[in-house]
Amino acid sequence: MASPSPSERRLQKELSSLMKDPPPGVSVDANAVYQHLNLWNVHMKGADGTLYQGEDFQLQFRFSSKYPFDSPEVTFVGDNIPIHPHVYSNGHICLSILTDDWSPALSVQSVCLSIISMLSSCKEKASTLSIEKH
Amino acid sequence: MGNCLKGTSNEDISLLRENERSSEQQIEPIQPSSYRDRTPVFYPTPNDGRPANQLTEEEQVRIARRIGLMEHLPILAYDDSINKNKECVICMIEFKIGEEVRYLPCMHVYHVSCIDDWLMRSFTCPSCMEPVDAALLTSYDTN
Repeated sequence: MASPSPSERRLQKELSSLMKDPPPGVSVDANAVYQHLNLWNVHMKGADGTLYQGEDFQLQFRFSSKYPFDSPEVTFVGDNIPIHPHVYSNGHICLSILTDDWSPALSVQSVCLSIISMLSSCKEKASTLSIEKH
Repeated sequence: MGNCLKGTSNEDISLLRENERSSEQQIEPIQPSSYRDRTPVFYPTPNDGRPANQLTEEEQVRIARRIGLMEHLPILAYDDSINKNKECVICMIEFKIGEEVRYLPCMHVYHVSCIDDWLMRSFTCPSCMEPVDAALLTSYDTN
């Protein structure tokens, strides 16, 4: 087998650290990731005491071969897309660290934490962004 | 006569080609190594990568200046008694003692090939987001 690229090696490390020490409410389907290292499905539970308590969400992370220099593409997928001012109904997330403010020091773990905190700080469930404006 | 003319024009073309080739060669060696593609791609802005021949003159100047500044960033042997970071946050691989690491003005350290690849995209420290060029200039002022 060919030796893993720097990007694959880093994803493998991130996977084991995410499984060992996941942020609260976050889990990853490791078996699926082992088959497609560049496509992760991450489960996220709405944090207790927030508007999203009791809800389950699915996030999809897609990594290019230039990760971590390219940011991952992260979207909500599945039946339950959170109703949030910064989340489009198609699952697209408006979060600066996923575009202009990305840095290779960030990781799946830190992106998950940012999304949890984005959801948790929401005061009122409203989808102010429409797909047409996107 | 016809032959003479033909000969000259051929020569002109080959001279031109040679010039093109030598200018490419000047750019290639400074392209960072590890994550490299077949054709070197340059990033005038972080999410916009293009091969050298598709850059405007202004973008080429900006990239050349950045490469010049990068050469001023010191490369030193990793010493675990000085550096708090045990691993390079870009590749997430542990530093080995004595391994060459590049220091940014904010004192964050990375593997040379890892940080050079990032600096070619964005001239900021991945850990603290401090702009490297501003910090470099300040360090010259204080010296």
